[in-house]
Amino acid sequence: MSGETDRPLVVEGLTKEFGSVVANDDVSFAVDEGEVFGFLGPNGAGKSTTIRLLLGLLKPTSGTARVLGADIRDEDALTGVKGRIGYLPAHLGFDEEATGEAVLDYHGAMKGERRREELLDLFTPPIERPVREYSTGNKRMLGLVQAFMHDPDLVIMDEPTGGLDPLKQEAFNEFVRDERERGTTVFFSSHVLSEVRRVCDRVGILRAGSLVELEDVEALLHRSGKHVRVHASDAAVAAIADLDGVVDPERFVEGVQFIYAGDVNALLRELAAHDVRDVEIGEPPIEDVFAHYYGSEETGDEGDGSEETANESGVDVSDGAGATNA
Amino acid sequence: MLETARYEGRRRLRGAAVLTAGVGAYAGFIVWYFTVLEGVDYEDVFEDLPPAMLEAFGIESLSTIEGFLGAQVFNFVWLLGLGLYFAYVAGGVVARDVETERMDLLLSFPVSRSRLLVEKFAALLVPMIAVNALGGPIIYLFVVAVGETVPLDHLLLTHLLSVPYLLVCAGVGLAFSVAVDRAAVAERGAVGTVFVLYLVESVVGGAEGYDWIQYLSPTQYYEPTPILIDGSFEPIDSAILLVAFVGLLILSQALFERRDI
Repeated sequence: MSGETDRPLVVEGLTKEFGSVVANDDVSFAVDEGEVFGFLGPNGAGKSTTIRLLLGLLKPTSGTARVLGADIRDEDALTGVKGRIGYLPAHLGFDEEATGEAVLDYHGAMKGERRREELLDLFTPPIERPVREYSTGNKRMLGLVQAFMHDPDLVIMDEPTGGLDPLKQEAFNEFVRDERERGTTVFFSSHVLSEVRRVCDRVGILRAGSLVELEDVEALLHRSGKHVRVHASDAAVAAIADLDGVVDPERFVEGVQFIYAGDVNALLRELAAHDVRDVEIGEPPIEDVFAHYYGSEETGDEGDGSEETANESGVDVSDGAGATNA
Repeated sequence: MLETARYEGRRRLRGAAVLTAGVGAYAGFIVWYFTVLEGVDYEDVFEDLPPAMLEAFGIESLSTIEGFLGAQVFNFVWLLGLGLYFAYVAGGVVARDVETERMDLLLSFPVSRSRLLVEKFAALLVPMIAVNALGGPIIYLFVVAVGETVPLDHLLLTHLLSVPYLLVCAGVGLAFSVAVDRAAVAERGAVGTVFVLYLVESVVGGAEGYDWIQYLSPTQYYEPTPILIDGSFEPIDSAILLVAFVGLLILSQALFERRDI
């Protein structure tokens, strides 16, 4: 039990209802010190709700969480540790008329700015310009600087790389790995699987407000398969689609696309045996990961059980398994 | 300490300057207009007006500069204009930040919600003090410039006693601001409320049996014209306004602390 209280983030049965909508349903997990924890889920799954609960912006309907030892229901305790928390919201509502510099001056005065210059070398928002002239990426970089500049012990980020160009995204990944080396605990949400796999130690997956899985990244990737799209003749397409490990093939005019969960070498051998005009192999959209690997158990939570047997094979999962709302 | 009040106060500087300049220009126009109207027999002009209307516009003695300023500048600008202005501006204090999600960032700071609210509200003192501290001397200089005089202590008192009144108007705005999510709704709600209270006080004042309603309006407790003319006021009125303001502030804090952002 004493070990639990030492962990920087402990979530216990956290539930938040907005009227009849259950945005978070009995969510429990814990993040270890110095860990990078990815909070994965499609849009509308309730990730932001969890984050806003952790920061005390929302009050839980039931359950609670401890952030750096402070109970989120206790405003004084939570305020007391906020100086050691960095926060990057999904939408950055900076004062549009102020320059980036004025914004950072204010944030620095409120919580400290020990690492400001170092961070401004890494992320480079044009701080002499007013925020209203910023691109999404620049705003995000300003957000990253303010989230880390007081050298927090725990950083909570909601979709941190939205709007960053690929180079800055790589810089961000590198930076997060360095932060882990320094012992900072990082908790961030994402709906992009590739982002999470590059930097996270562990992943929690949220769907329709419930935590579906909690596992290390290797296991997740192993289970998620590949998204494959092949342009080839009809005969070739038929043969490829028959391969073991092909899930949910979808024909289109010039070929087929499917999720492949089998042995990669077998796929490559099969592809090499045909005249393939074009092929793309990539990560599956996260919605597909859910649909194929978690959907069959989870669609039952709202229905009355009548679909459960039909979904047993995991092949035919309805659209309802994707994003629940926009 | 007070970083938020300082930061927000700086954001209010430009608005305060524009407000003060506008009010000063209007006061200049009114003082000049007084010199044009000199010699007009006001008793004749207003004889036909119903008493309620005389009451509503605070028309008492327009033939003196004090009476003229009281009616045209203080009743019109301070009581109505600035009352609505501060209700409107305070309506945006919290609701606008919630709407733009700036509040997410502000609440990640190591300060309590109630502290944040008080500091953000305190920034409204910048325009409130500017318009009084600069508006007063501007009015006085205009009056002197046209060869009239107005008792300095009366003028000072008129400005000073307007502060509790304006605080209540801003307090109404603040209560709306924490209660709703959209800035436009909070601003309109606050302006509408203050305006309706102003009208109610003017209209109901003469109606027997219902005259208690007028005591709900903050305008009941600040009457600039008598202060300006002979320096008369009731200290209890200012006390009532201050108590009402503190009540609105506490109510706003309680609402703000409980709500989801």
